[in-house]
Amino acid sequence: MMKFVTRRVLQAIPVLLGVTVVVYAILLAAPGGPEAKFAQNPRITQAQKDSFRKAWGLDQPIPIQYGRWMGILNPSGEGLGVLIGPAGLPNFLPTPLSGATNGVLHGDFGYSIDSGEPVSNRIIRAALPTFILAGTALVLWIVVAIVLGVYAAIHRYSLFDQGATVFAYVGYAMPTFWLGIMLIFAFSGPGLNILPAGGMTETRISPPFGSPEYWVYFGSNTPQALGDIAKHLVLPVITLVVVNIAGDSRFVRASMLESLGQDYVRTARAKGLPARTVNFKHALRNALLPVVTNIGLEIPFLFTGAIVTETIFSWPGIGKLTIDATRDFDYPILMGVLLVTSVMVVLANLLADILYGVIDPRIKY
Amino acid sequence: MTAAAATTGASTPHSDGDRLLDVRNMQTRFHVMDGVVPAVDGVSFTLDRGRTLGIVGESGSGKSVTALTIMRLLDIPPAEIGAGSEAWFDGRDLLALSESEMRKVRGKDIAMIFQEPLTSLNPVFTVGAQIAEQVQTHLHVRAREAWSRVVEMLRLVGIPSPERRAKQYPHELSGGMRQRVMIAMALSCEPKLLIADEPTTALDVTVQAQILELLKTIQQRTGSALIMITHDLGVIAETVDDVIVMYAGQVVEQGSVADVLLEPRMPYTMGLIESIPTVEKRGGRLSAISGVVPSPFHLPPACRFEPRCPYAWDTCRDRMPDLSVTRDAERHARCHLHVAGAASRLEAAVSQHRQNMRVGRQLTDSV
Ligand SMILES: Nc1ncnc2c1ncn2[C@@H]1O[C@H](COP(=O)(O)OP(=O)(O)OP(=O)(O)O)[C@@H](O)[C@H]1O
Ligand code: SF4
Ligand SMILES: [Mg+2]
Repeated sequence: MMKFVTRRVLQAIPVLLGVTVVVYAILLAAPGGPEAKFAQNPRITQAQKDSFRKAWGLDQPIPIQYGRWMGILNPSGEGLGVLIGPAGLPNFLPTPLSGATNGVLHGDFGYSIDSGEPVSNRIIRAALPTFILAGTALVLWIVVAIVLGVYAAIHRYSLFDQGATVFAYVGYAMPTFWLGIMLIFAFSGPGLNILPAGGMTETRISPPFGSPEYWVYFGSNTPQALGDIAKHLVLPVITLVVVNIAGDSRFVRASMLESLGQDYVRTARAKGLPARTVNFKHALRNALLPVVTNIGLEIPFLFTGAIVTETIFSWPGIGKLTIDATRDFDYPILMGVLLVTSVMVVLANLLADILYGVIDPRIKY
Repeated sequence: MTAAAATTGASTPHSDGDRLLDVRNMQTRFHVMDGVVPAVDGVSFTLDRGRTLGIVGESGSGKSVTALTIMRLLDIPPAEIGAGSEAWFDGRDLLALSESEMRKVRGKDIAMIFQEPLTSLNPVFTVGAQIAEQVQTHLHVRAREAWSRVVEMLRLVGIPSPERRAKQYPHELSGGMRQRVMIAMALSCEPKLLIADEPTTALDVTVQAQILELLKTIQQRTGSALIMITHDLGVIAETVDDVIVMYAGQVVEQGSVADVLLEPRMPYTMGLIESIPTVEKRGGRLSAISGVVPSPFHLPPACRFEPRCPYAWDTCRDRMPDLSVTRDAERHARCHLHVAGAASRLEAAVSQHRQNMRVGRQLTDSV
């Protein structure tokens, strides 16, 4: 088991390296580049542009730029010395060994062009709201999808099953932005104004979410603060879960139906076990194997969230950060988000693999 | 009184002390997209305590559906069990039991072994846990006692180091070992009837013989009755007392295994026996039955074997033959050759069969 995990982790390393190259290449290929923000600005002189390029290292050959961004190369080194960190060891080693602090490998994603803040700060600040929204939605939709799918499979072709099928088709076909807007219209519109249309907190009574003042407020008014967030969560969560329940409940249903048709289920019935045991022990246990893998693959969603939903509901998360950064040509932020997302996907695949090995005794290591 | 017999007009045989199973006019249909499949069409047979009965027939003749109907394991719908069907087991009609009563019969009074031991065992539980589960369900014993029963059963079916094997998963065992596990599971609650549906078909030839031997000795030791379903007449010859031959959902011949195999009285049975490859027939012509099994949607209107039967004549196209007593009285055949006026035709068929069989005495020697 340990060997299997180690091997899979080691296999993930080249994949992750490849991912950084691809992320870098994509943004290199994108039009504009970091200078796009003031390319059209007549008040910026050529000298200013040059010093900007130099400060950002844009005057260097691309492999050097990549090496610095990654933290493999030391930006203040000369010649082959670029490979050596301030402490005299290779620059790519962890900070305590190499003394290097630059680059992705040392947790340095650069600085936001827009605000000048470290990219990692911006990402960490946006990650919590996304985690709250996506986590709530993910837990809810997985539970509902499993219950719905399993029940529909056991009572195949029943009225319930047919209802679930209709819901799945409608839910799956419904565009997220449309559903979000309809929900706002229905519950925050002039008629039935009972839920907030956007944001994460009521800014008239509390400081902006995530600021130091907010946490002071949160500490002294925890129940109200939680209730406030919960109220703001309702509409975006509904928007997110509908399409996902629709998709995943179908997946669970198909998996459960396949299980129910297997020989071992017939054996379980032939043994005289109650229907409950046959369905929920013998069939469900097998039906959940692919479902668990699927859930593992959905975990990056906790970070990436949903761009459309966050935008509609002005949710201050990663999705909104991405949209804002795109609008502002804030390349370091985009690269940071893209990179973290890709790493999450690779890690989620790894997790799903390991999880599958744990729950399925047939997997050999 | 031990032979499988009695169909029409028999007096209440289920009240008989020796009688374990009495299936009467069982009809099982499947409602499918293209229409209705009469998979089992008026099947009747009886089985006494401790006896063994073989059911043979080509693929699709309704053998498995017969067993699954008795066990009430078919999903209804698409299956439908005809109104007049009865399956008396130990004084009760299984087809009239409530689902919860039937559950107490399954695995306890009647146990079943299936063809594919790998897929028939749940891949995510250890084999010991799967047997223990059945023991605990029916014998209401504690986990510890159930486990010692598991080990005892695994030892009984000849699995070496049963304590260790019980903790393994199905994929860690060989095919033959898995089928032994299935047998151990089936026998764990001392059933009165064991139904084995093609228990050796998926196994290697050498393992097949071992499993058959095991089934036979265990059946003799425990005294349970056995229904052996197979398309392999060799298996039948080695394991059972009585046999019924099925064709297109109907019983076409029944009697003791020696009678049916040595002196078949129905052209389909004759063809089946003639098509067995034997050592002496090697190199010679293997007489397979010509033609194909009729589609369940287009069954011949009278005798269902008529399109393939070398002895068919007008009567065979007019009326469906009944399953009736032959002149030998001890057995039944569904064939017009046994009506009063057809004696010479029967004579011709029987002598032709004898001639065809002269080349191969192999099978008959083993009976
Ligand atoms: N679940 C089902 N739905 C529809 N038709 C079925 C179903 N199960 C069996 N049948 C049909 O019933 C008929 C009898 O099938 P059965 O499985 O009893 O045959 P068999 O004699 O056991 O053959 P084999 O040797 O292939 O196991 C076949 O025509 C089959 O297609
Ligand atoms: S009834 Fe006629 S067709 Fe049918 S098996 Fe007998 S001889 Fe052949
Ligand atoms: Mg079958």
